[in-house]
Amino acid sequence: MATAAREIEQVYPTPTLADANEDICRPILVPSWRYALLLSIAIGGVALGGAAWAYQIHKGIGVTGINHPVGWGVYITLFVFWVGIAHSGTLISAILYLFRSGWRTTINRAAEAMTIFAVMTAGLFPLIHLGRVWYFYWLMPYPSQRMIWPDFRSPLVLDVFAVGTYFTISLIFWYTGLIPDLAALRDKFRGWKSKLYGLLSLGWEGSVREWRHYRRAYLIMAGIATPLVLSVHSVVSWDFALAIVPGWHSTIFAPYFVAGAIFSGVAMVITLMVGLRWAFGLEAYVTEYHFENMAKLMLLTSLIVGYAYAVEYFLAYYSADPIEQDSFLWRAFGAYAGPFWIMVFCNVIVPATLWFRDIRRSIPALFVIAVFVNIGMFYERFVIIVSSLAHEYLPSGWGNYTPSWVEISILIGSFSWFYMWFLIFAKTLPVISIAEVKEHLAHEQAHEQAAGRVGGAE
Amino acid sequence: MNRHGTGGNRSVGVIAQYGSVEAARRAIEVLREEGFEDLEVYSPIPAPELEEAMGIDSSPVRLWALIGAITGCATGFLLSAGASLAYPLVTQGKPIISMPPFFVVMFELAILLTGIFALFSMLVHARKPKLTLSPSYRAAFSVDRWGVFVAAGADRQADAERLLGETDPLAVEVMA
Repeated sequence: MATAAREIEQVYPTPTLADANEDICRPILVPSWRYALLLSIAIGGVALGGAAWAYQIHKGIGVTGINHPVGWGVYITLFVFWVGIAHSGTLISAILYLFRSGWRTTINRAAEAMTIFAVMTAGLFPLIHLGRVWYFYWLMPYPSQRMIWPDFRSPLVLDVFAVGTYFTISLIFWYTGLIPDLAALRDKFRGWKSKLYGLLSLGWEGSVREWRHYRRAYLIMAGIATPLVLSVHSVVSWDFALAIVPGWHSTIFAPYFVAGAIFSGVAMVITLMVGLRWAFGLEAYVTEYHFENMAKLMLLTSLIVGYAYAVEYFLAYYSADPIEQDSFLWRAFGAYAGPFWIMVFCNVIVPATLWFRDIRRSIPALFVIAVFVNIGMFYERFVIIVSSLAHEYLPSGWGNYTPSWVEISILIGSFSWFYMWFLIFAKTLPVISIAEVKEHLAHEQAHEQAAGRVGGAE
Repeated sequence: MNRHGTGGNRSVGVIAQYGSVEAARRAIEVLREEGFEDLEVYSPIPAPELEEAMGIDSSPVRLWALIGAITGCATGFLLSAGASLAYPLVTQGKPIISMPPFFVVMFELAILLTGIFALFSMLVHARKPKLTLSPSYRAAFSVDRWGVFVAAGADRQADAERLLGETDPLAVEVMA
């Protein structure tokens, strides 16, 4: 009991319910030049990426560095990277909801938003990678005149279902969580803003009859999102593991990818939350306590990822298969040794500093570590995809890959696209779940009153 | 005219505001003991104790979610097996109807339709979307106030007002 009370005290300092409403809603729709500058930079980056993509569509896929034997380059690397980033959002909102972890409350909204924008970014890459993007609808199972259906035994088709479902469910889950907060915004504002949020809140009044259905639906969504999180990156990993390419054909890929996804996702949440907390003055709500918990999650997943790196090497050694062994030796000491060692440094060595409590509670240190992890996880996907394809079975089939300026521009564009959406979200919707923060505050007050009564009776 | 004398009109009655879940719960209990059953209770946060005090059963949303799950699973099988039979090309040495990969599609569609059914059934049961707010709703109910509205015609309004006044409300308002 004492532990629970202490936890609540750490989660929330002293704001009242009305304070929470006011503090969280304050930055919404209020213009600021800093925000306008950041948004302009993001839009500029999107324009660069868009122009590069338009150039690629005009000239053909040959403007990229992708060629035989490396047919999957930075585009597929970015697809896997962004799907991975998307993972911690639903992990934090769904899995921690089911475990009743109080610390998720202040970060779940931003983490869920991040998930949606990351999947929106990831979803662009199969289209960009297609080259002839106007044929994208061939991915869909529909009765066509050609009588050709997608191959449902192919992991690439399964991936369309996994990522599509993940996007839809994350969106539904996020929106459901937003409904009571949209009603709070409707009641706070006047005029067109009130009308806009009123429409979005679907006329929510917070009557007990509404909450009854709402609570049930939210619990069910959290329940189904949990296995979904674990399934999505497993399916993505099978895009690789079901092929016979040395370096890909491995049974550990599903848990390895899921752990890596959560690792990179938590790092991205930390990166974004540090910025949001600073920009919107949310220090009273997002505290060192929350960051320390995220740091612990990052440390745990870093250990799993580090273990997976080691196991891959052990399996290659133990397989007694010279091609497998050569592939892994080449990965560490061949043409892509640079990215490989950046990956090890960023994902295993840098996060090991999180064993120290002072570092876990230092927000600047965490920010730096999280940026390293983001870089490291990009390189991890790059190393897995490119170094395996570049060095397959026959020496005559070997060949290296270097991304072209078009791919680099689209890489910059993808980060800008993601940040653009996140910035728009941060200015138009509550970045912290108001209803959930209030729920905790109300419980804390009830707890204090009960304690006061007991104290008075003594 | 219903037995509360409001003629089914939810804009006639008494509304009281409270500062905590506990106070709202006591008010509901007092009203129900005195035979007032036509209540509308507003809360800024989910409060299972209020549902209990009002004697509301658990939501049928879970049944819809189950229907969604079964529909999704069946759709996943029919889609993947149907497409494979319509275009029977052996790939990767697997049988035409190959359950392990099809299971992924069944699983994903089951989850997809469970979520969609849960959302839409929640909206339908909660009578959403709604363009106008109820006459008894107040903006403070989305901030830090709990509201208890009791539908009561002219003959019972005085009773309702007296009962609510005894439950330490922050405000009481008669809607005639």
